[in-house]
Amino acid sequence: MLLIGQALISGLLLGGLYAILAIGLSLTWGMLKVINLAHFTFAFLAAYITYQLSTSFGIDPYLTLFVTVPLFFVMGLGLQWCFNRFDVSEFNSLLVSFGLFIILQAVMSALWTADYRRIDYEINPYAQASFWVGPFALPIPQFSSFIAAIVLAGLTIYVLNSTYAGKALRAISQDPGMAAAFGVDYKKMSMLLMGVSTAYAAVAGVFIAMIFALFPEAGVEWIGVVFAVVILGGLANVPGALGAGLLIGLVQALTTAIANPGMAPLVTFSLLIAALLFKPEGLFTRRSTL
Amino acid sequence: MKKWYGPLGFLGVGLLLALVPWLKTVFGFPTFYLIFLYFTFFWIAQASSWNMLSGYSGYFSFGQGAFFGIGVYTIATLIDKYNVSFLIGLPLGGILAALVGLGIGFVVFRLRLLKGELFALLTLAVDFVLAAVVRNSNAIDGGFGVRLGSVKPPAFLGDFTTMMYLLGLVIALLTVFVSYSIYHSRFGLGLFAIRDDEAVAEGLGVPTFRFKMTIFALSCFFIGLSGALQALQIGYITVEGIFSLRVPLFVIMMSILGGRQHWLGPVIGAVIIFTLTDTFSKASIEYLNQIIIGSFLIIMTLFLRDGIYERLKQRLWLSLAVLFIATVVLMITGLGERLISQLAYAMLITVAFLLIPDHLYHKLISPFQFLHSDEPVGVSDA
Repeated sequence: MLLIGQALISGLLLGGLYAILAIGLSLTWGMLKVINLAHFTFAFLAAYITYQLSTSFGIDPYLTLFVTVPLFFVMGLGLQWCFNRFDVSEFNSLLVSFGLFIILQAVMSALWTADYRRIDYEINPYAQASFWVGPFALPIPQFSSFIAAIVLAGLTIYVLNSTYAGKALRAISQDPGMAAAFGVDYKKMSMLLMGVSTAYAAVAGVFIAMIFALFPEAGVEWIGVVFAVVILGGLANVPGALGAGLLIGLVQALTTAIANPGMAPLVTFSLLIAALLFKPEGLFTRRSTL
Repeated sequence: MKKWYGPLGFLGVGLLLALVPWLKTVFGFPTFYLIFLYFTFFWIAQASSWNMLSGYSGYFSFGQGAFFGIGVYTIATLIDKYNVSFLIGLPLGGILAALVGLGIGFVVFRLRLLKGELFALLTLAVDFVLAAVVRNSNAIDGGFGVRLGSVKPPAFLGDFTTMMYLLGLVIALLTVFVSYSIYHSRFGLGLFAIRDDEAVAEGLGVPTFRFKMTIFALSCFFIGLSGALQALQIGYITVEGIFSLRVPLFVIMMSILGGRQHWLGPVIGAVIIFTLTDTFSKASIEYLNQIIIGSFLIIMTLFLRDGIYERLKQRLWLSLAVLFIATVVLMITGLGERLISQLAYAMLITVAFLLIPDHLYHKLISPFQFLHSDEPVGVSDA
């Protein structure tokens, strides 16, 4: 029982990390019609940068957020500028960002080789430290990524619902033409949103660097799971992405604890297929009454 | 007239290519070229069968790896566990893939929402699920991989390399021929209508469900068949290698590069991309290879949206001339070391030539306008 309880907690915390990645992906897909596969390599590039900064200069991994987040925000701006400049369609965005995915992955393996990299425990003491809640351990990096997921989700929901920029973005996602007629600058707003999305990828990357060993192809393993989270949550549905992320994390942990780790993808993707067949608009989206 | 010269053309090309192993014994060129050609045939078959479904009907599949994997594991299980001859295993690999395709299609094609990106992701999920099933089932793989012993080729097919070459050739020709026949048939027209607007197609009387099921099954059959042959070439089969994203991504890239609207598109794409990857991975800088492929994909998607075939049609003679001259120059100067690399560089030059935007191109060739009547060069047959 203790084992399963601990597995559920780890799953829930890992689900937070899935959610951080999924929120960014879901927002740009749902609102800008850009399916950004490069999101995953952005996260791992940020993770490698965190690794390099803390290994070379002994910087606390949490502090690298001040470098990676602005850096990737700017990269997102640039990426969306290109998408706008060439007027890339939804499907082509998948292909272009996949090209970028391959290039970035190659750059990472050129710079950091194919070996596993992990931040030294001396610089990253958090990796072995935990909070204890009764008999259950909450490892600090995992727990902080979980908190970050909830904070980012809350912040995003607040911005989208209650600020002018958020309303403009929702207007764009509903009807870009009409939004433009009311004076919403599509180019600026879309660049802003993509910047925020890649900045979220950077946040996820910092936590990934603290929790996992890094290797250049690692991004591929996350594609399936995070896309499952995005679809289950419903496009551009932030609370949905958070809920689906936690759900998938729990399901994976439970399968691993009860059956074996090899079964985890089977259960996850069967869940995804079932959801696509029976509720393709997402588990957490109410059927729209048109 | 089209009725007879098409099949005859395929037969002619097939017979010519079937002579290559014989030429090899006469002139004694390295076996390496036969293997290179086998892999080219493999990618042509894979890309053409992907394009039958995704290019013609617009249902973009990311699940190529799943059906490829079914073909590979069917023949591997039959040979390894049941000692069945591979000649029986080959068609069975295709048939099983087609049956699984029919099962998936039966559920998926009934749901109108599952189009575009959602269909793509669903097929990708099928790939992941199958990989997990195969990895966990001891009857098939169980996570340790399957090692196929050396396969004994029957006498009439010569040694192993020759046999692979000939079988690869037959499968590739068959796939491209089916793709060609569909392109010129009413069935093909129905599929194009589905791609352009499914609701309208249905309203005009295209039996969309039946057409989609048929093309999905056909496409899966050829993916599985060519996958089963590839299993013999690979020899050591692992879940990670087979169900990886490599196959789906390569076929998508090849078809997009070559052009998805025409049966010849994926063939052109497969030849170019495979020659390029072969060259650049031989250059022993794996990441450079990836960077080139990635940039290629981005540039093609942004600047040559309809693929090479559409542009090639407009500039046919000039681009063939560019390809020919570039190859000859490279061969004489000896740049690029091997014949295949020289061909790869020549292809790159030709693609660069095709990338020249139309208005610039017309300005470039305008001094030579007097060679033709008042039409711009090359547009005459468009």
